[in-house]
Amino acid sequence: MRNLDDLRQSVIDGDMVRAQELVEQALSEKAPPDQILKLGLISAMEEVGRRFECGEFFVPEMLVSARAMKSGLALLRPYLVKAKVEPVGKVVIGTVQGDLHDIGKNLVGMMLEGAGFEVVDLGTDVSAEKYVAAVRDHHPHLLGCSALITTTMPHMQEVIQALIQAGLRQQVKVMVGGAPVTEKYAAEIGADGYAQDAAAAALCAKQLMGITE
Amino acid sequence: MTMTKREVIQSVLTGQTPPYVPWSCGFTKDALARLRGYYGSIDLEAALGNHLLKLGNDIGFFTDLGDQRFEDVFGVVWDRSIDQDIGNVEGCRLPEPTLQHYTFPDPLNPRFFADIPSSIEKYGDRFRVFQIGFSLYERAWTLRGMQNLLMDFYDHPRFVHELLNTIADYNIAQVQQALTYDIDAVYFGDDWGQQHGLQMGPKLWREFLYPVLERMYTVVHQVGKYVFIHSCGDVDELFDDLISIGVNCFNPFQPEVMPIGEIINKYRGRLTFHGGLSTQQTLPYGTVSEVALDTQHLLELGSAGSYIFAPAHDVEGDVTLDNILAFIEILQSQPGYSKTEVERKYAQSG
Repeated sequence: MRNLDDLRQSVIDGDMVRAQELVEQALSEKAPPDQILKLGLISAMEEVGRRFECGEFFVPEMLVSARAMKSGLALLRPYLVKAKVEPVGKVVIGTVQGDLHDIGKNLVGMMLEGAGFEVVDLGTDVSAEKYVAAVRDHHPHLLGCSALITTTMPHMQEVIQALIQAGLRQQVKVMVGGAPVTEKYAAEIGADGYAQDAAAAALCAKQLMGITE
Repeated sequence: MTMTKREVIQSVLTGQTPPYVPWSCGFTKDALARLRGYYGSIDLEAALGNHLLKLGNDIGFFTDLGDQRFEDVFGVVWDRSIDQDIGNVEGCRLPEPTLQHYTFPDPLNPRFFADIPSSIEKYGDRFRVFQIGFSLYERAWTLRGMQNLLMDFYDHPRFVHELLNTIADYNIAQVQQALTYDIDAVYFGDDWGQQHGLQMGPKLWREFLYPVLERMYTVVHQVGKYVFIHSCGDVDELFDDLISIGVNCFNPFQPEVMPIGEIINKYRGRLTFHGGLSTQQTLPYGTVSEVALDTQHLLELGSAGSYIFAPAHDVEGDVTLDNILAFIEILQSQPGYSKTEVERKYAQSG
């Protein structure tokens, strides 16, 4: 499907206008919505993640690609709903209590959305109670906690403890990340997954969901 | 004859072997409160014995809007309800990619320079650095919003060039005024790094930032003064570029993001490093012995010059007083350094 290859390339190039045109064109040509999503948008964001991981892409490139992907996805979404195409999973994300930094968390959200997840973003300065309430309300498969500074990292453990106390720990897998967070720290506090950046977060989420493609 | 602290810093900046490793350590409000509890009413600057005399204000000046919100001179509002030292930007001062409806503040406002004469009089033996924080990229994103600015590199490159150059003009005017005082260096601050790699990547950094940085740093070098730059994160790929435009000293030299031992040996004599003690791992999570071990290691690395000791960030409130006092005691006990009366008193009681 040449059109979907072009759509994929437009997202990689961060060309939002072109991506929208190509989604509309694909829809008008009756391409299956799930194929447009997988081959045009998700595949593009996988490549963006790969380029980010190997140092070809940086935050600006990731942002313009994610914007192109989201603009295409917005046009595609009603068709996905109509065709009963489900997200690959649902993720609740947020920056932990006491931390107002959000760009890292936002990038994670974009990459997760680009990987086919439904993302519920709780924002910044999210208390353990709010995370617990969001798990109750949204029934996510995954919960993502971000922290940029060492003084707020301990709140990640509080989130996990609060989930245990609420009897919800077995219902959701917890991913953590942020500049000072390490794999060792993630293991110590009982998190299920750790990612060093947004691209790695998308891969980690897929692994936790058992998605092996 | 004993060298002054000013002379010791000059010796490390010029690639000479200093009599001991100099230091200049910073602390957040929470950590300072802890130190005040220990040192009591005495002047903390005197107790710490820092070698850099920091003049001006690294984050600028603010108007208290109430409710823990503060407006800087650029009209950017900072929420300090959580981070009480700097805060987090609220809203977006430049919602559109244009400077058409925006007026820069007065770079020569007397309050930027008000503390210089009295500070120099009080601590004249120290190396005098005039500080300009948020000096380029950071000033741009605090005005425009970080995500907006990062996308503007592609969407509105002419605007980004204009914005960065206008910020540089503002800084240059301020630096030129600061250079009329008897200062030694200008300490620019501008975070470009992430934990891994540059936020904007080397290509965009070289295209947009490098020429503007060169223009700012040249003003300092033209009058024979030194250039210091603070940039958090994994930015060591820029060191050769920074040297080529006249940077003399780099901070914060974070051990979590760069191989500090390898780097100091590679650049000794060409670039001095200020920082080095882990604020992400050792200080908050290490024992007193581990802090002491890391401090000793850094002093060994710096014994041949090109190094000024410091924690790699202002020490946060999650660091124990014992860990803070551990590195201070080792610094002040170095052979070749003569403790002041205040330092002797607190070393003995501690």
